[in-house]
Amino acid sequence: MSLTGAAFAVAMGSSALAAAAGAALPRRARRITAGAGTLAAGGAAGVAGVAAMAGRSWGTWLPDVLPLAGVRLALDPLSGVFLAVTGAVAVCAAVYGVGYARPGKEAAGHGPGGLGVDGRVAQAMVPLFVAAMLLVPAAASVSTFLVAWELMALASLLLVAAEHRRRAAVAEAGLWYAVMTHLGLVVVLAGLAAFAAEAHGETFAAMRAASAGLSPAVRGAVFVATFAGFASKAGIVPLHVWLPRAHPEAPSHVSALMSAAMVNLGVYGIVRVGLDLLGGGPAWWWLLVLAAGAVSAVYGILQAAVAADIKRLLAYSTCENMGLVLIGVGACGFLRSSGAGALAALALTAALLHVVNHAGFKTLLFLAAGSVLHATGTRDLDALGGLRSPMPATTALFGVGALMASALPPGNGFVSEWLLLQSLIHALPSGGTLAAVTMPLAVAAVALSAGLAIATFVRAFGVGFLARPRTPAAGRAHESPPSMVTGMAVAAVCCVVLALVPGPVAGGLSRAVAVAVPGPKAVTGPAADAGTLHLAGLPSTMSPLLIVGALLAAVVALAAVLRGAALRRTERLARRRARPWDCGAGPMSARTEYTATSFAEPLQRVFDDVLAPETDVDVTPVAESAYLVDSVTYRARVGDRVEHRLYRPVLAAVAWAGRAARPLANGSVHRYVGYGFYAFTGVLVALAVLR
Amino acid sequence: MSVTVAGSVGAAAQVVLVGAGAPLLVGLMRQVRARLEGRAGAGVLQPWRDLRKLMRKQPITPDGTGPVFRVAPLLPAATALVIAAVIPIATTASPLDGAADLFAVTALLALGTVALALAGLDTGTAFGGMGASRETTVMALVEPTILVSVFALSVRVGSTNLGAIVTSTLHEPQRVISPVSLLAAIALAVVTIAETGRIPVDNPATHLELTMVHEAMVLEYSGPDLALVEWASAMRLTLLLGLVANLFAPWGVTGASMAMLPLAVAAYAAKVAVLGGVLAAGEVFMAKLRMFRVPELLAGSFVLALLAVAASFFLVGT
Amino acid sequence: MNDTLYVQLLDLACGAFLLAGVLVLWRRDLAAIVRLFAVQGAALGVLVAVLGVHDGDTEVIGLAVGIGLLRAVLLPWLLRRALAASGGAAGPAANRETAPLVNVAASLVVAALLALLAYAVTRPVVALDPSPAAHAVPVALTVVLIGFFALVTRRRALSQVVGFLLVDNGITAVAFLTTSGVPLIVEGGVSLDVLLAVLVLQLLTARIRAAFGDTDLDGLRELRD
Repeated sequence: MSLTGAAFAVAMGSSALAAAAGAALPRRARRITAGAGTLAAGGAAGVAGVAAMAGRSWGTWLPDVLPLAGVRLALDPLSGVFLAVTGAVAVCAAVYGVGYARPGKEAAGHGPGGLGVDGRVAQAMVPLFVAAMLLVPAAASVSTFLVAWELMALASLLLVAAEHRRRAAVAEAGLWYAVMTHLGLVVVLAGLAAFAAEAHGETFAAMRAASAGLSPAVRGAVFVATFAGFASKAGIVPLHVWLPRAHPEAPSHVSALMSAAMVNLGVYGIVRVGLDLLGGGPAWWWLLVLAAGAVSAVYGILQAAVAADIKRLLAYSTCENMGLVLIGVGACGFLRSSGAGALAALALTAALLHVVNHAGFKTLLFLAAGSVLHATGTRDLDALGGLRSPMPATTALFGVGALMASALPPGNGFVSEWLLLQSLIHALPSGGTLAAVTMPLAVAAVALSAGLAIATFVRAFGVGFLARPRTPAAGRAHESPPSMVTGMAVAAVCCVVLALVPGPVAGGLSRAVAVAVPGPKAVTGPAADAGTLHLAGLPSTMSPLLIVGALLAAVVALAAVLRGAALRRTERLARRRARPWDCGAGPMSARTEYTATSFAEPLQRVFDDVLAPETDVDVTPVAESAYLVDSVTYRARVGDRVEHRLYRPVLAAVAWAGRAARPLANGSVHRYVGYGFYAFTGVLVALAVLR
Repeated sequence: MSVTVAGSVGAAAQVVLVGAGAPLLVGLMRQVRARLEGRAGAGVLQPWRDLRKLMRKQPITPDGTGPVFRVAPLLPAATALVIAAVIPIATTASPLDGAADLFAVTALLALGTVALALAGLDTGTAFGGMGASRETTVMALVEPTILVSVFALSVRVGSTNLGAIVTSTLHEPQRVISPVSLLAAIALAVVTIAETGRIPVDNPATHLELTMVHEAMVLEYSGPDLALVEWASAMRLTLLLGLVANLFAPWGVTGASMAMLPLAVAAYAAKVAVLGGVLAAGEVFMAKLRMFRVPELLAGSFVLALLAVAASFFLVGT
Repeated sequence: MNDTLYVQLLDLACGAFLLAGVLVLWRRDLAAIVRLFAVQGAALGVLVAVLGVHDGDTEVIGLAVGIGLLRAVLLPWLLRRALAASGGAAGPAANRETAPLVNVAASLVVAALLALLAYAVTRPVVALDPSPAAHAVPVALTVVLIGFFALVTRRRALSQVVGFLLVDNGITAVAFLTTSGVPLIVEGGVSLDVLLAVLVLQLLTARIRAAFGDTDLDGLRELRD
C-alpha cells in the first residue's frame, strides 16, 4: 500500500476510534480522546492529501463494505487538495475543540448524558463529520460519493443542532439546513444517476470515458442539476439561505469545519463533475457558474458588511469567498471552451489557491469568534469592544485573520485574488465578444467585493475588539484556555506561510489543475525564489515576500527616525497619557462610541435598494397627552432579501397546500389504510387496462 | 529582472523626491488657493514648518487606546514610501519591480487607510468611528473604478505591471489621445480625488467635525504622530497625482540610464506641480458634496472606467 | 486628411458623443441637461463632418452643418425657453430632476451595462464591414439605449424630451456610421419631424404646467381616476 493509501487508512481508522471514544467514554476523557483522535485523523489526511497532490495517486475497491456496489476510492491530485485542506482544518478544530467543549459557566446546566457541545452525540459526531468530509473527495463512484455526501450532511446536521436546548434559533437553523441540504442531495442524486445510467457505469472512470459520447442535452441537464446541488452546498446565492443560519448556530469549531472545509466540497463537486467527468462543456455552462459566483460574491459581502452578529458576518463572508472561487472556476471552464488552455489553468489555480487560503483564514476567524463567544457569551458586535486587553492573544489572532480575509498585501487572500484578477484580465484577447462583455463585469464584481471585504473586516476587528467595552459582558471577558489559543495559532501560522511563500503551494496545485484542465503549468516559481509567482507566458510577477520586506524595512526605518528625533530631547521621550480630546466635550461614556450598526450605516444607505433594510419606530406617548413622548423604541434589521423575495412565497405556497390537504388526513386510521388500498388497486387496474 | 545600479539609485531618488517634495506640493496647492481667493498665503514651505513644529512636541496617548493606535501612523507613511520606491516616477527599472503591479499599489494604499481607520475606531470616540466608517465606505466604492480603469489601461499592454504600461506608452505616444485613455484618465482623476480626500469628496481644510471624513479619523493624533499622518497623506497625494501624470503623459521617465535621472526627476516634479495647481484652482470653484452624493460621483467614474474598457473594443480601428 | 488623423478625430467625436449621453443621466439640474444635449449635438455634427470630409462628400458636409445647427443651437434654445418659462412659475425645485424612478448611481451603472449590451449586439454589424466608422456603431447604439432609459426613468417632462432627443441623436449617428449618409431629403424630413415633435412637446409641457403647476409626469396617472 502506498504512502497515500496508508495515511488515508490511518485517518479513517483514527476518526472511527475517536467517534467510538466520543460515544462511549465518560465526559472528561471523551473530550480529550475524541479530540486526539480527530487530530490524528486530520494530520493523517493532510499527509495523504499532500502525497496525492505530489502525484502519488492511489485507488482501491472494497466490494464488501457497501452492498451491491461496494466502496470505490481513488485519490488523485485534485482530491488531494481538498483532502489536505480538510485535514488541516480538522487539526485546528480538534485542538481548539478540546478547550471549547469544556463545560464553562455558561455551558453549565444542560442535560446529563447526551446533548450540548460536550455531550456524547456531539463528541462522536465531530470525528464522524471529519471522516465523511475526507471520504467525499476520495470517492470514485457515484454510490460511494452519494453515501459519503449524505453521511457528511447528517453528521453536520446533528452538530448544528447540538445546542438546540439552549437557543430556539438553533432548531430553526437546523430545519433550514436539513431541508436545503436534502433538496441539494436530491438534485445531485438525480444528475449523477442520470449521468451514470447514460454512461452505463457508475464508476468515475467509466463516466469519464463515456461522457464525450453523450448527447449535449443530457450533458447540459446533468451539469445544471449537479451544479445546483453543489452550489447550494457551497452557499452560492440564491441557494445560500441555510448557510448564514446554520454556520453561526453550530458550535464554533464545527462552524469552522463547515465554513472552511465542507463548503469547499461543493466546489470540488463542480470541478470534478463539470471539468473532469464531463470534460468541460459549452460556454453557457461556465458563464452560468461565473454569473452565480459574481452575484454571490457581491451579495455575500454586502450582507456581511451590515451583519450585526459576528458569526453571521463570517458566514456571509464564506458566501462571498465561495463566489470568488466560482468566478475562477467559471472563468476556467469558459476559457477552456474557447481554447485558451494555459489561461484556463491559471484561472483554476487561482480558484483552488483561494479555496486553500479561504480555508486558512476562515478557520482562524471562526475559532477566534468562538473564543469571543466563549468569553463574553455574546456574538453581537454592538455589544462587544475593548477585548484587546483582556484577550490579547485572541485579538491578535483575529487581527491576523481579518488582514488575511480583507485581501490586503501581506495577507494570503491578496495573493489568490491577484491571481484571479490576472486570469480575468488576460482572458480578453482570447475570448471574443462574450469575454469582452463578461470579463470587465467580473473584474468589477471582484473589485467591489474586495473593497467591501476591507470595510467588513475593519468593522469586525475595529468595533469588536478595539476601543472600550460597550457592555459589562464584554468588560468581563477573559482569555481562552491554551488549547483554544493553540488551535487558532496553528491556523494563523498556516495563513502566514501561505501569504509569504505562495510559490510552493501554487506550484503544488499544478497537478490538481492538470486533472481538470490538461495542459501546461500556469504558475511557476523558481525554487530559489519561493516568494515570487511568475505566470507562465505572461509578463506579470508578484512577490509578497518582497512587499512585506520593503514594508517592514520602511516601518523600522521610520520608527528609528522617530526614536532618534525623540532621543535628542530626552525629556520628551516619554509618551504622556491624557484623556481623549473628543472635540473638547466631557468624558464620554462607552454609549457614545460608534457601534457596528452605525459603522455600517453609510454602506447600508448606499446599497439601500439591494439590502432593503427594515426599520420601525414605536413612539409611546405618556397617558395624559398624545404630544408628550414617554419612550421611543427603534428597531432596525437587515434581512436576507433573497430569502424574503424567493423563499417566502414558495414556503407560503407549500403551507397553503398543506392546509388545503388537511381534510384528507382527519386522523382516522381506516382512512389512511384505505388510501393505501385504493392506490394499490388503482395501480393494478391501470396496469390491467394499459397492458 | 536583474537589479541594476541605475535602477536602485533611481528608486532611492524617487523615495527622497516624494518624501521631501510632498509637503512642498501641499504648500504649493494651498498657496495657489490662497492667491486665487485673494489672500497672501503662508508660503510654499509652511507645511514643512508645521511638520517641524509637530515633531518637537511631546507624543500623547489618549486613555483607553491600545497598540493599534500607536503603531497605525507608521503604516500609511511606510506604504507611501514603499510605493514611492516601486512605481515608475522617474525610472522604470526599480529593483522592487516584482511589486510594481497596479493591484499591489492600490492594495498598499488601502492598507494605509485601514491602519488609520482602525486607529480611529480604537480611540473609542464618536468622531473617530464616524471618520473611519466614512473613509472605509469611500474606499470600498473606489475600488471597482480603480481596478476597471487598470483593466482598460492594461488591455493593450497585456500586463498590469506599471513599468510595462509606462514603457508601452512611451513607445507609442499617439495612444494618449484615444478615447480609451481619456475616459480612463477622467475615471482615475475622480478616484484620485476621492482617495486623497480632496474637494468635492472631502475638505482637508474643514474645521467642522460633522462634515469631516479623513480628518475626523485622525482627530486624536497630536505631536509627532500627527506629523507622520500629515506627511503620509501629502505623500499619497503626490504619488497618486504622479501616477496619473505618468500613466497618461510618461515623457521624461527613464529606463536604466543614470544620466537621464535628474531630468526625469525634474519632469516629475513639474508634472505633479502643474496637476496640483490645476486641482487647487479647481477646488476654489467647487463646494464639498454631501456624503451621500459621493456614491453618485464614484458610480459615474466607474461608468467612465467601464466605458474605457468597452471603448478599447468599440474602437479597434485606432 | 490622412487615415490616423481621421480615425482619431472620429474616435474623439464618438467619445464626446457618448460621454455627453452618460452625463445626461448623471446631472440633476435640467439646465445642465440641456447644455449637455447641446454638446452632444455639436459632437454629432463634428462626427458627421469628419465622415463627410473623409469621403470628400460635400452633401454630407452640408448635412453636418445642418445637424449641428439644429441639434446644438436650435433645439437647445427651444428647450431653454421652455425651462425659463417653467422656472419663473414653479420655483427652483421644478428645474431639477429631484427624484428619478431609478436613482442616479444606479442609472449610471445601468448605463455601463447598456454599453456592454450594445457592444454585444452590434458585433455582427461591425464584422460585416470592419471600417473605423462601423467600429463606432456600438457607441451610437449605446446612446439610443441611454436615451430610451432616460425616457423610462425620468420624471420631468423636459428630461423626457431630452431622452427622446438622445434616441434620435443615436439613430442619426447609427445611420451615418453604417451607410455613411442617408439621402438629404430623408435626413431633412427626419429633422423636421424632430423639430415639430419638440415644439409640440414644449406646448404640451406648458399646458400641463398651467393645469397642474408641475411637470412631474407621474401626476398624470391621477387623471385616470
